[in-house]
Amino acid sequence: MKTFKYIWRNVTRNWIRSSLTILSVGVSLGLMTLLYGFIASQDEWGKEAKKNNRIVVMNVQGFSGQLPIASVDTVRGMQGVDAAVPYSWYGGKYQNKEMPFAQFATDPNEVFNVWPEFTISEEELKAFKENRQGCVVDRRLLAKWGWKVGDRIPLQGTFYPFDLDLQIVGAFDSPQNTDSIWFSWSYLDEGLKQKNFARTGNSGTIFARVGSAEVMPAVIKAIDDRFESSDSPTRSQTEAAFAQMFVDMLGNVRSYIQSIAIAVVFSLSLVTANSMAMSMRERVTEIAVLKAIGFSRLRVLSMILGESMVVTFIGACIGFLIGCMWLQLLNSAIPQYFPFKPAEMIGPWMLTTFVAAAGIGLVSGLIPALKAAQLSVVDGLRRIG
Amino acid sequence: MSSGLPSSDPIVEVINVSKEFRRDQNSIPVLNNVNLQLFRGDYLSLMGPSGSGKTTLLNLLAGLDRPTSGKVLVCGEDLGVLSEGALAKWRSRHVGFIFQLYNLIPVLTAFENVELPLTLTSLSRKERKEHVTTALEVVGLADRMDHFPRQLSGGQEQRVAIARAIVTDPTLLVADEPTGDLDAKSAGEILDLMQRLNSDFQKTIVMVTHDPNAAARAKRTVHLEKGVLVAEPTSVSHSK
Repeated sequence: MKTFKYIWRNVTRNWIRSSLTILSVGVSLGLMTLLYGFIASQDEWGKEAKKNNRIVVMNVQGFSGQLPIASVDTVRGMQGVDAAVPYSWYGGKYQNKEMPFAQFATDPNEVFNVWPEFTISEEELKAFKENRQGCVVDRRLLAKWGWKVGDRIPLQGTFYPFDLDLQIVGAFDSPQNTDSIWFSWSYLDEGLKQKNFARTGNSGTIFARVGSAEVMPAVIKAIDDRFESSDSPTRSQTEAAFAQMFVDMLGNVRSYIQSIAIAVVFSLSLVTANSMAMSMRERVTEIAVLKAIGFSRLRVLSMILGESMVVTFIGACIGFLIGCMWLQLLNSAIPQYFPFKPAEMIGPWMLTTFVAAAGIGLVSGLIPALKAAQLSVVDGLRRIG
Repeated sequence: MSSGLPSSDPIVEVINVSKEFRRDQNSIPVLNNVNLQLFRGDYLSLMGPSGSGKTTLLNLLAGLDRPTSGKVLVCGEDLGVLSEGALAKWRSRHVGFIFQLYNLIPVLTAFENVELPLTLTSLSRKERKEHVTTALEVVGLADRMDHFPRQLSGGQEQRVAIARAIVTDPTLLVADEPTGDLDAKSAGEILDLMQRLNSDFQKTIVMVTHDPNAAARAKRTVHLEKGVLVAEPTSVSHSK
């Protein structure tokens, strides 16, 4: 008989208690997996952004400021810049839902030069360029909403006093789900002019693609220097830094998540320790018998610790699966916050759940294990002659 | 199983052993200057009223406890000087335990319960299986090896416990009220079995009992009164 078989039989001896303990560990570690998955997805986003040699140019005032559309041509003409487009967040309602997907006004003629990793058929790109009200849609978004080419997408402006009446002219493929549609900046701007909107002729940001990562710092400096004395001075940064900015906007998320994780691990340790202590109390005589027939303190200690580790390991496996399922669902539901599927961000973060489980197993099992190891055989057998 | 004639050297020597328990500030004497010798193939019953120190003496012989003064030598080894770890190892080699309430592990089958002491040895799986099967055959339960304790009667449980006690072929078998929880028929079967282990396999047995009928099966009986070994009124001489 292997020792593991005995450990396993003890784990399953009171299956209701063990199942409840395993479930509490599983659900809590599932939450932890989700939180760490979120951090990992942000890191992955930053890594992806680093690959693309893109620069984001914003007004120095941040998102509250705008950039004159003429700035796009200025950037486009600067040394080291291969392509540049206006890129304005529209943020409209669709079917009375607040921003159910991302909507960007951009330049159909250049946008696929700035995002060359995104692909679209020649015919659809041609239609996008020629149809002023045309829009192209991430293919996953198209499938999610059940749209098809030719469908009309009416969007109700929330920031801008102009409603869009877009027509899908094509779908693009991208490495990750962008959950977004692109339409012509000119269409939006002309509409705003018709509504006598005060701030026409502007773009929220400019996205530029440069030839290599090496020239990015110099190009960023050159752009900001170029606009320093203008009415709209700029703050330029890499797309990776831009992505990180969004994470930073959520506050010190990492600290929050780590604090939550520590709280989860601590409270779970108490729950599991209580369960283990109850289990040990019921088996005092049994442990005394084991020690009487020659089981050493270390062996008894290892067996009890092994038992708590098995419980938490099973909990960790369940929690990891639950967490990954949540991440998968959130990737489908809100890809703007969870742009990656768990399978797309395999990494050391996935071990966090199991490391936490090992910690919980050790902490929760240690005191009952030490008590069992130190148990006097004579006291355990409860016999006084 | 070892067999052979009783040797002339005692395998257990209890020399001037006293034992006190401390409860708060009070010292409670349980054994007082006890002297005893056991020889290979001996079968000794320990009798006496409750609280006379029978189980305490048994625990000292089995290396479960240490004397306050005096020496307990088993096979020449002074148990009082062994460390906790060394004592555990010593017990696994030299002592087989039979308890009143059997104390089988409820989540293990009869086979696995008997195999438990062998997991502390370096025997292979195949060798362990052979030993366990032999032990279960000796106690007449080879056909119940896959049963869990809850599926066995009290007498059968005790027989499994005896198989667990003899599977490592220990020097000494210690039994604490082995028939105390059994009906007369089962008790008789257990006593028959223990007698057979003593006579056929030359197992040295020390048995604590309140039952004069059980004590009568032993070769010798000693009485404890208030921690003092008083007499061997019905001593059956052992071969020397």
